[in-house]
Amino acid sequence: MRTYRALIALFLAFLIVIPAHGKESKGFDFSLLEKTIFEHNLENGLKIIVLPRHDAPVVSLVTWVDVGGADDPKEYSGLAHMLEHMAFKGTPEIGSRDPEKEPGLMAEEDRTFDRLRRERLKGRLADQQKLEALEKQMEKAIADAYAVIDPNAFSNILQSEGGSGLNAFTSRDQTAYIISMPSNKLELWMAMESERFFRPLLREMYREREVVVEERRMTVENRPMGKLVEEFLSAAFKAHPYGNPLIGHMSDIKNYSREATLKFFQKYYTPSNMTIALVGDVKPETVVSMAEKYWGRIQKRPAPARVATIEPTQQGERRVNLKDRAQPAMMIGWHIPDATHEDILALYAMVDILGQGRTSRLYRRMVRDEKVAVSVSSHAGWPGNKYPSLAVVFNYPAPGRTNAECEKIIYEEIEKLKNQLLSNEDLDKVKARAMAGFIRGLSSNMGMAQQLATYQQLWGDWRQLFRELDRINRITPEDVQRVARRYFTDGNRTVACLETVVEEAKAQKESEK
Amino acid sequence: MMKSTFVKNIAFALLTILLMSQNPVLALDLKALAYPPLNEVVIPEIEEVKLENGMRLYLLEDKTLPLIQASVRIHGGSYLDPADKTGLADFCGSLLRTGGTAKFKSDELDEILESIGGSAETSMDIIAGGLNLSMLSSYKELAVEIMAEILQRPQFEEAKFEQLMVAAKAGISRRNDNPGQIGEREFDKLIYGKESPYARHTEYKTIAAISRDDLKAFHSRVFRPENVQMAVWGDFDRKAMLELIKKHFDGWEKGKEALPPFPEVDYKFDSRTSYVDLPEVSQSNVYIGHLGGRLTDADHPHRIVMNNILGVGFGSRLFKQVRSKAGLAYSVYGVFTANLSYPGVFYNYVSTKTESTVKAIRMIIDEIRRIQSEEPTAEELKLGKDRYLNTFVFNFDSKSKIIERLVYYDFFGLPKDFLNQQKQMVEKTSAADVSAAARKYLKPEALRLLVVGAVKNLDEPLANLKNGEPEALDITIPE
Repeated sequence: MRTYRALIALFLAFLIVIPAHGKESKGFDFSLLEKTIFEHNLENGLKIIVLPRHDAPVVSLVTWVDVGGADDPKEYSGLAHMLEHMAFKGTPEIGSRDPEKEPGLMAEEDRTFDRLRRERLKGRLADQQKLEALEKQMEKAIADAYAVIDPNAFSNILQSEGGSGLNAFTSRDQTAYIISMPSNKLELWMAMESERFFRPLLREMYREREVVVEERRMTVENRPMGKLVEEFLSAAFKAHPYGNPLIGHMSDIKNYSREATLKFFQKYYTPSNMTIALVGDVKPETVVSMAEKYWGRIQKRPAPARVATIEPTQQGERRVNLKDRAQPAMMIGWHIPDATHEDILALYAMVDILGQGRTSRLYRRMVRDEKVAVSVSSHAGWPGNKYPSLAVVFNYPAPGRTNAECEKIIYEEIEKLKNQLLSNEDLDKVKARAMAGFIRGLSSNMGMAQQLATYQQLWGDWRQLFRELDRINRITPEDVQRVARRYFTDGNRTVACLETVVEEAKAQKESEK
Repeated sequence: MMKSTFVKNIAFALLTILLMSQNPVLALDLKALAYPPLNEVVIPEIEEVKLENGMRLYLLEDKTLPLIQASVRIHGGSYLDPADKTGLADFCGSLLRTGGTAKFKSDELDEILESIGGSAETSMDIIAGGLNLSMLSSYKELAVEIMAEILQRPQFEEAKFEQLMVAAKAGISRRNDNPGQIGEREFDKLIYGKESPYARHTEYKTIAAISRDDLKAFHSRVFRPENVQMAVWGDFDRKAMLELIKKHFDGWEKGKEALPPFPEVDYKFDSRTSYVDLPEVSQSNVYIGHLGGRLTDADHPHRIVMNNILGVGFGSRLFKQVRSKAGLAYSVYGVFTANLSYPGVFYNYVSTKTESTVKAIRMIIDEIRRIQSEEPTAEELKLGKDRYLNTFVFNFDSKSKIIERLVYYDFFGLPKDFLNQQKQMVEKTSAADVSAAARKYLKPEALRLLVVGAVKNLDEPLANLKNGEPEALDITIPE
């Protein structure tokens, strides 16, 4: 089930933070592993990465598309995410009970929706009777089209053949489709996965928007932290699309058309904008010959351009206060560069020392000693990594304590990092943790497949995954101090607080005590 | 020919024309694919050893990565908590690792582990506790020593106890912040009873009653070698590891009493409708079901297939009806769960906008009735079975899955080939078996239903469902 996709997308950035390691690590030779990784480019530009591992007869398979929420067109926020839903709807043959009738029925949906949409956009001037009639007509068109489909056929085929963990997620940087298969079913995956991007059929488009609306209600509107994140990001980014909601504004979701979605697909789902990574019980030569046969069918198309908008330098602190019945929470963010920038590993080291784990500065002072917070942590590279992004601190105050008290301490601890140099031991810890985390990451086929694809996407070369150790080992205390001073300034900061609304009756009761 | 007519037709669908005309259509014939046989699953040999004091060990050498990993299962959990000290086991589970040991003060242990990138975490749930450790194998001596300290000699340091108390209070104060969290908690209480060890939860009063002496007493009662199963795998020599573990655990004294059995569940099938009114939300969280069963019920494999057809996954009837066809939900599912220790739950979940809540409830109840009355089609049966059978290999794709399953089965005395027995029964399951299981275990006439939402704005009053008089649940947090 794709239930947790939004959450995964939200935290994807954290999963891929600070992989590092070294040949010198206790006799384990990473270069041997690196040498077993195979890569190949198809003529149409599709990149293939294979890591053969034969411990169990299974293989993890990912398709990484270099498109995400940051690429959503104007008026269509959330479209990258919508397309991810639509990629499970099949192809002309997979999913249809009547391929002859279906196109006509879909065209009727499109025509009706176009009329409905135009009338709706008149707002208060819309003709209510006409609207009602069109809505009825739309319902009928949807029902008629639904009558000739074989719902969920695409997923059913993969799952009945042993597909496990069939899933997909959209982040602001990428859209990923993942599954693990018994390794003898490799060809089925090659055929199906390429087919859905070769000849997608966006059936059930209009009904699926309602599913996404429910997803938005579940993950944003009825979840206090969901609301806070949305307000926070829209305050932090005034120009760059990282500030737009990943799942889309409610009005935009209701406005999606099949035409807009298909245009978006054609622009971004080009073979040269996609990477497939396979880790498990497969042979590279088999993978390549199958990929040529199936993925090779997709025609070469021009690669899409990256986002042109650059977030302007922030000119002063921005602040959002959200009132909710929930208990208080706070997030603070500072603009930082993208993942390929030379400062990024020093920033990773800094946020590690500041707010990751039980020995971090913020945990020790705020949770352990002063007990002003029950949870506090910091991260760099959220909500994305491909474009200049944020370093963030998430904080939940302890009962009876306030966001304001916590905020003050967080700034004090950051000042210490600006004013006092770290010791080499502090950094050694960061390096050791990163190395151990990297080795642990190697044990999962799915984890490795995603890492390889991520580095391929962000750097244009998966090998960078194996170079990060050198980068992190070069970090000095002076580097950390320099990035702390450079990025963690008042004027570069956005603060979002969720403050509890005390209901009147309850407040009355409290004051009588 | 179907294909060429199809291509002509689609040309009228203006939106897809571009894709279709750019390329010659290379047809995909999935049925023509021939799969090679699956490479054999090699199940590693796990050495099982019982120490003289009763502690059970499971050892597996695995040189793939320079890691040592351990998973320890401790029999005993919050089912043992006195009602007025609910939270005791949970506190113990947390402080084992964070409250310091005889040799390592809490800060020191944090420092050691984080400076080498190791992790050791402990917790206790309703029926068992757990310790999970992962370290580079170069630190294997330290790993075993840390486990021995955590399990045998925790100190529950005063300062850490206070810190945990703050966190526990915060947990209580925040427990009504998310509608989904409210629903899960209250539905468990609706099924097992609010006082039941399987559903009750902490209150300010119950945690305030917990003292460090209680923790020490709980620890010395439960943390005894005969209650402990320790699985260790990774890059080490098996013999040397056994000696190392013996050195640290042989001297651990056996307990004086056996822990009481898991309490029975007292359940009467009846219809009830409850609700939590949250006027400000735009979406309802709905739970529908009744008591479930046990993993050892002879026909459980039939229920596995039934679950897949009714409510688990993309191809299920609930997904198809409520999500795909009606567009009423992003999340909808239904599953009959089975445990070994106490009965599971049959529960169905949907989150849907306030204005379609009762409509979605009716759809779900209809589907529960339909799985009883309407035999699955051949297609549904095949999908339901294949999804289990063809993913079976994923039960063996990691060392931790293999070894942890062995530990769990061993505790409950299940045969080693239990999973294979289940698989064989799934293979033989017929459409009639699925219907029979549905009729035997599902009771659409006796459902308990919970709605967390803006109850006054629903599409219909809940009373219209005629599933018992709707009853409001008060979720105010007691002071």
